[in-house]
Amino acid sequence: MIDASLLTQMLIGALLGLSVYLPLRCGQLSLATPGFYAIGGTLAALLSTRVSALGGSDAAYPLSSVLLEMALAALLCGVLATGIGAVVLRLRGVYLAIATIALVEILRVTTLNQEALGGAVGIFGIPQPFNDPGGYVLFTLMLVAAICWLCDRIERNRLGRAMAAIRDDELAAACQGIDTERTKLVAFVLSAVVAGLVGVISAHFLNSWNARLGNFDASITTLSYVVFGGSRTWAGPVLGGLVLTALPELLRPIGDLRLIVFGLVILVGPLLLPQGLISPQLLQVLRGWLQRWRPGQADPATTQGGKP
Amino acid sequence: MSAPLLETRNLGVRFGGLQALEAIDLQVNQGEIFGLLGPNGAGKTTLFNLISGVTAATGGEVLWRGARISGLDPNRIARLGIARTFQNLRLFHSLNCCDNVLVGLHRQARLPWAAALLGSGLARRRQHELRERAQQLLELLEIGHLAEQNAADLAYGDRRRLEMARALANDPELLLLDEPAAGMNPGEKDELKGLIRRIRDQFNLTILIIEHHVPLMLGLCDRLAVLNFGRRIALGSPEAVRQNPAVIEAYLGGSS
Repeated sequence: MIDASLLTQMLIGALLGLSVYLPLRCGQLSLATPGFYAIGGTLAALLSTRVSALGGSDAAYPLSSVLLEMALAALLCGVLATGIGAVVLRLRGVYLAIATIALVEILRVTTLNQEALGGAVGIFGIPQPFNDPGGYVLFTLMLVAAICWLCDRIERNRLGRAMAAIRDDELAAACQGIDTERTKLVAFVLSAVVAGLVGVISAHFLNSWNARLGNFDASITTLSYVVFGGSRTWAGPVLGGLVLTALPELLRPIGDLRLIVFGLVILVGPLLLPQGLISPQLLQVLRGWLQRWRPGQADPATTQGGKP
Repeated sequence: MSAPLLETRNLGVRFGGLQALEAIDLQVNQGEIFGLLGPNGAGKTTLFNLISGVTAATGGEVLWRGARISGLDPNRIARLGIARTFQNLRLFHSLNCCDNVLVGLHRQARLPWAAALLGSGLARRRQHELRERAQQLLELLEIGHLAEQNAADLAYGDRRRLEMARALANDPELLLLDEPAAGMNPGEKDELKGLIRRIRDQFNLTILIIEHHVPLMLGLCDRLAVLNFGRRIALGSPEAVRQNPAVIEAYLGGSS
């Protein structure tokens, strides 16, 4: 049921979930992910179809060119996000969400009306770096692993604690000497870079690119990954992205009913599990099990506080 | 004589038509426990908000060691060495007590980003030191056994203690305590008095404290200022303030 192509889509979903998760972990509801995803995708589509030097001599598109596109997309998204973030992150709550939706729409409409960026037709015939779908799975999986590792490190460190503090109480966080503006900006820029990287992979994987791939619907879909999976730790958006991308495909046998089932899952999920699948309670239970299994190697940091 | 640690000059703030504070002149000297008294709505917490940069003043200035700090962001002011607690408790509810204090240690937790990212030996040692420091502070406030508890699950008095532990973690020179005894019984208030003196001596602190409980304040503070309707109506030693007719009138009402 799950073939390599669906698996790649699921992993892409997980990455987009992580992109939405990063600002959300600092309490910033940013829906800009599809915008930066579109920037990465459009950049990859343009470079790989218009710059013949990147094509190489082999039949397959060289992997080094994909990596170069990813580096450029990361740089472009990072720079843009720094400039945009410095302005829009002054907004709070739903106003930030609205501003980022506007950003996504501006990018979409601009792409739609610029023939040079593909216009309404889009860009076709994006070359393939891999001969079989398994290559995409492996490549995307490596990126997922790298981003998860990065998120895990951040969460365990000063930056992650500062982000959590801002999510809980921004004013109190500032009074602890945390530069809240900067911390929020770092999360926003990281989110944009991840989205840009995914855009590059997607463009090659999908073989064509058009402006509709980064629209408001995508904002909501990617947000649902995090709401469904949970926004406490990186495992939430990964799980949410995997499950919610796979679900519509797995439900194909039941025909049009699948849309209703999918809607129900999205509706019932947050009702039954308001903190998402990976909730703080679940994490606590898991941590308890982990310590019982290997008491000798238990992290000294988590056990030392238990003394009476 | 050198400049006082903290000074306000002609400090005032206006919220629309309401002059919440007007022409406040205060000088807090190094090592002092300085009390702010006043009826509800006198502007005590507003004064704290002006000092910590949470609210912008509309007149006058705040000086820290003689240099103007009004207009700076709260995080800049916190990094100068001014820590505060909040009257209505603002803990990080999704974090446990230990992590709440670790956030307070933010300024001391700085590491080269590569070391932090790769979890080098240096980073692990620092992390361990920070956790130990956090645990020490929790124990000082007698909530060491609650380190793994979520801040949201604490009893009211323990939340107040946790806020003080977090503020002490900032490694401040000046500590602003906003009603630390609220909701405590008389026995606990007595203990609190001892605790505040102890931390002042141990951490070499200057303390600015707001509290309603007059006997506690008279017994604890070196000097007191009394506010009423946004104005400073008295300033001086506990004894002088107690006998000040303006203070008696503010608290008991005047004969008209």
